[in-house]
Amino acid sequence: MSILEVKNLTYTYSAGSPFEKTAVKDISLSVEKGEIIGIIGHTGSGKSTFVRMLNGLTKPTSGQVLIEGNDIWEKPKEIRKIRFKVGMVFQYPEYQLFEETVYKDISFGPANMGKTQEEIDKAVKMAAKFTGVSNELLDKSPFDLSGGEKRRAAIAGVIAMDPDVVIFDEPTAGLDPLGRELLLSQIVQYHKERNNTILLVSHSMEDIASIADRIIVLNHSELVMFDTPKVVFSKVEQLEEMGLRVPQITKIMLALKEKGYDISDGILTVEQAFYELVDLLKKEGKL
Amino acid sequence: MSFISAENIKYSYESEEHNKKTVLNGVNLKIEKGEFVALLGHNGCGKSTMAKHLNAMVLPEEGVIYVDRMDTRDEELTYEIRRNVGLVFQNPDNQLVASIVEEDVAFGPENLGIEPDEIRKRVDNAMKAVGIYDLRHSAPHKLSGGQKQRVAIAGILAMEPSCIVLDEPTAMLDPKGRDEVLSSIQELNKKGITILLITHYMDEAVLADRVVVMDKGSILTEGTPQEVFSQVALLKKHGLDVPQATELAYKLMGAGVKVDKMPLNEAQCVDLLLEVLK
Repeated sequence: MSILEVKNLTYTYSAGSPFEKTAVKDISLSVEKGEIIGIIGHTGSGKSTFVRMLNGLTKPTSGQVLIEGNDIWEKPKEIRKIRFKVGMVFQYPEYQLFEETVYKDISFGPANMGKTQEEIDKAVKMAAKFTGVSNELLDKSPFDLSGGEKRRAAIAGVIAMDPDVVIFDEPTAGLDPLGRELLLSQIVQYHKERNNTILLVSHSMEDIASIADRIIVLNHSELVMFDTPKVVFSKVEQLEEMGLRVPQITKIMLALKEKGYDISDGILTVEQAFYELVDLLKKEGKL
Repeated sequence: MSFISAENIKYSYESEEHNKKTVLNGVNLKIEKGEFVALLGHNGCGKSTMAKHLNAMVLPEEGVIYVDRMDTRDEELTYEIRRNVGLVFQNPDNQLVASIVEEDVAFGPENLGIEPDEIRKRVDNAMKAVGIYDLRHSAPHKLSGGQKQRVAIAGILAMEPSCIVLDEPTAMLDPKGRDEVLSSIQELNKKGITILLITHYMDEAVLADRVVVMDKGSILTEGTPQEVFSQVALLKKHGLDVPQATELAYKLMGAGVKVDKMPLNEAQCVDLLLEVLK
């Protein structure tokens, strides 16, 4: 059974008024447990509304969200429980820190789940470990942290609830190259150890290409593709028409292929391209 | 004297625990009129603090900055310096003040006390320059990120500055929005406006005339994009990146492939590879 399934999911803003606008239109798809799913689409394509419906922050106008086969709106009073199962890390989460200490901030989620002090402590330590928040930072005020540390502390606050599905909305925006790489590898590491399901919204095609198993492409409120990075990033023209891009490295390798060289489809990282080229150069006797 | 001339700038912040944190540790930076300079460096290296020095938002503790021969420490010149050097920040939502695009663009010149006819002219020109003229009657909050950021740039342009400093203007934008903002920046530079672009995207930095790399409050290296991005090992050591095209060439060099000139973009890299495979 899939961990997450949506059926004919639709959301319309200001329905019935002159400002009526459909933000998400009739989307159906399912995600298997343990997958890393990338979500891409231009600004205003419906990405944020879509992910907000997945953990019950926004109620669909029509259609269903099923978590482990159960409709999350079956018992509207229990929607809060869904948010423990489907965690959401918003854009620029560092602006949402509010407690006196980093420790208290991270423990806010598990405390609200009604966990015992001992369980809370374990959850905080686990989350801090995954996000690289050191012990000495835990006693500090979140407002004394650097930008990167704040972001990791905020992400720890969501991870501490140990959700089955974690949604990251632009987690690397504004980080420098090293910070991006570190955070992405932490997300991958976390995913590996907990074997949970990750949804990652990003404008960085390079980030998505490097970690996603499958990619959801939204365009003007509709689902236009849901496939592996290999397949999605081979559709250069279609993506560019939608205001999206493919990673630079993918384009370079596609250009070589078009010139008639024997290059595999869907090269997504510099690493892959390098090995591909070394093989090719050896075959051609140039190396 | 250069248009912007920063000499030995030192600056430190007072942190909570009252120990001083040095942010700028003797920065020397010269920018010529009409130049397009990209400023790189990881978070916390002092880039943004340096940018704020350029229009007297922050004053140096030590050292001196001249903007068009004006000393930023001279309070009487602050107004003129800020008219001359406009700042654009990362988040467009924090920079828009009015409920209609053209009113937002007019906010700057109105505050300069310019005649209404002249304001009209400047606002129209500024909106056309960044390609948002057709959106002039729209509400800013209904625009896309790239459009909003161009409204913010138009607002600066309407004050007719000679230099625009942009601090990660594309960090929150989608790929198309990034392209829109970058081509606007390049257009303005062609018209003679001096540009300082702070960015974490290496493919943006390669568009500049000159790249300056900061690390721990000082300048690590500078030069043309070609010169700077050829130093792959140095950049990597300091936690910085190079474009994917450059990284691939660098790796191939390591494997014994002869690379005379580091490619900085897609086209150059494809040319290099075709040459090698020939």
